[in-house]
Amino acid sequence: MRRSVFYDFIKGFIEENPTFRLVIGMCPTLAVTTSVVNGFWMGVSVIFVLVFANVFVSLLRKVTPDEIRLPVFVILIATPVVIVELVMRAYLPAMYEILGIFVPLIVVNCIIIARAEAFAFKQPVLNSFADGLGIGAGYTLNLILISGIREFLGTGQITVGSFRFPAAPFFEPAAVMLTPPGGFICLGLLMAVLNVLLARRERKAKAQAV
Amino acid sequence: MTERLVVSPSPHWKTGKTVPALMLDVVMALMPAVVASVVFFGWKALAIILTSVSSAVISEAVYEKAVKREVTIKDYSAVITGILLAMNMPPGVPLWMPAIGSAFAIVIAKQLFGGLGCNFVNPALAGRAFLMAAWPLHMTRDWLAPGFFGGVDAAASATPLAVLKGASGGALPGIWDMLLGNRAGCLGETSIIAILIGGIYLIWKEVIDPRIPLGFIGTVFVLTWVFGKPGAFFQGNAVYHILSGGLFLGAFFMATDYVTSPVTAKGRLLMGIGCGAITVLIRLWGGYPEGVSYSILLMNLVTPLIDRVVVPRYYGWKGEARKEKAL
Amino acid sequence: MEIIAIILGGVLINNFVFMQYLGLCPFVGVSRQLETALGMSGAVIFVMTMASAVTSVLEIYVLAPLGLGYLRTIAYILVIASFVQLVEIFMKKAAPGLYKALGIYLPLITTNCAVLGVTMLNVRHSYGIFLSTLNGLAGALGWSLAIIIFAGIRERWRLMDIPKTLEGFPLALVSTGLMSLAFLGFQNLFKAVFR
Repeated sequence: MRRSVFYDFIKGFIEENPTFRLVIGMCPTLAVTTSVVNGFWMGVSVIFVLVFANVFVSLLRKVTPDEIRLPVFVILIATPVVIVELVMRAYLPAMYEILGIFVPLIVVNCIIIARAEAFAFKQPVLNSFADGLGIGAGYTLNLILISGIREFLGTGQITVGSFRFPAAPFFEPAAVMLTPPGGFICLGLLMAVLNVLLARRERKAKAQAV
Repeated sequence: MTERLVVSPSPHWKTGKTVPALMLDVVMALMPAVVASVVFFGWKALAIILTSVSSAVISEAVYEKAVKREVTIKDYSAVITGILLAMNMPPGVPLWMPAIGSAFAIVIAKQLFGGLGCNFVNPALAGRAFLMAAWPLHMTRDWLAPGFFGGVDAAASATPLAVLKGASGGALPGIWDMLLGNRAGCLGETSIIAILIGGIYLIWKEVIDPRIPLGFIGTVFVLTWVFGKPGAFFQGNAVYHILSGGLFLGAFFMATDYVTSPVTAKGRLLMGIGCGAITVLIRLWGGYPEGVSYSILLMNLVTPLIDRVVVPRYYGWKGEARKEKAL
Repeated sequence: MEIIAIILGGVLINNFVFMQYLGLCPFVGVSRQLETALGMSGAVIFVMTMASAVTSVLEIYVLAPLGLGYLRTIAYILVIASFVQLVEIFMKKAAPGLYKALGIYLPLITTNCAVLGVTMLNVRHSYGIFLSTLNGLAGALGWSLAIIIFAGIRERWRLMDIPKTLEGFPLALVSTGLMSLAFLGFQNLFKAVFR
């Protein structure tokens, strides 16, 4: 079966959702999701790196010997990360400070090397591009979802620039949501709920098939 | 055959006692402390306890119904969690806090892992730690000055531990007030006598192992005596240190939790000593005035490791014979 | 004083796993058994300490004087990758059983963000060579402590009635959260002394 480019794009949202299905790239998913804005910029950085790395890995897949593919991947990933670092430091210095070491750490984000190894190294350029874009966008949505929950419960409102929703918190914010324990438990529960829902859906599908 | 070396996780009992009977003993043993808290902090204390217990029981029932498991609210374990969490709250907290804390304790710390016996931290303490991280100001400032039957002063009052640490001014209460419970603190931790009555009852009924509370309190006594006074050794106010904070409550009722403490005698002594050492570390040099609940939680985490290290030596160990040979 | 502060900070106060979200993938992946957790700990301690030492030498004698700070990410990841190769070759020969048990996680130390993370933190704190190495060691010890504790807990789960749909990542994350709640007790430890 020939893979359609559109499928390779769309699968990153549900079927191969990096956080909830593939369960990779945990560290930044937790570290930067204390506010929606942070989550968004982290997501954008990952999209850029992922697309860049996927495209170049795919372009070079025929000339790269299997034995040295990992070092090649690392270089092809580190390059766009450095670009992101420099651009962000120049134009979004405040965000660069907040995201801290997690910008250079995109280099070791398992999502990217996993996509290079499992997908881009075997697939044509266009599909790899779509895959990077889709997985990256799925990842960004996850980050926004998790950071939305954490920011809302942890500060009582969601702040994007000068926009605040709701205008004033209507409950006493639980500071724990912004701390590591809150992050772990929040993501764990989110995954638990999704697992249960998916298991139920699969059971239903099976029942219908019979 | 390594499976033989694995000691099955608690709870397991040698006696023919059933889980509810055992848990009922603990509930009974907590009653003196419950009464004392109502005596000293009035109706507010009762409201917190009732909220916490009902939230715990309801959470347990609702969760077990939702996942279609047998509903176990009749084994009293949720009741105990509810009471213990309430005992660990300052008397001035708003009522939604014990409600959320109990729900967290039951659902997240216990039921998600499969219910009683599968949790690896004490649920009540996990609930307390969660509340502490979520609303730290309530948990560290909502103290009330004690007064007999509701004559509670609404003004915030310094706990003896905060005074000991130099975090807030004020005088230390007298020894008798400390023993009776006539001092600021969490609901159930203030009255040493009431806790001791319950604790001794539990030891007499062989529900808890005295090694844990004795090791715990003894370690705190020795270490605060040695290091308690900055810049000088062997001059610490050890008596006040062991009487203040949640030490007795934690040592008798929470560090001894079957599910989350080691199964062997030696392991239990280790548990007590470890709790004591971490408590002193946090009390004297840490960021919080009180370290009892964190110390127990941390020792809960290493309980499986303690069981692994201590237990295998008992494999093939014939009574006291080897000990004598070693001597 | 700073030496003690770094050690306590790395192991207890700012534990990589519980407080800094570093090295989570192997933390969850290799913690099912105590033996593999111990093996992984050994590998991580070696790689993190050495990587810290080598990258700080690289930083101080090459990158900083030449003004090549922007190449840091690439340079560091290459150094780390080669160290991991070294450990892998060594283990394959010296401890084949362990090598088999660690499976795919050994090469994945390269992508253990704790390793690159600690070297980046060293630069941010502008530690010298000695303090960087120490920081690497302390961070690795803290990571090992975390995974050993967690492996102990998880080994018990095999004997228990753990809900099937939640096993794996959901429960691992919730437990990590509960553990990190307990580690909050170490916050601000010795703050008054170190300041």
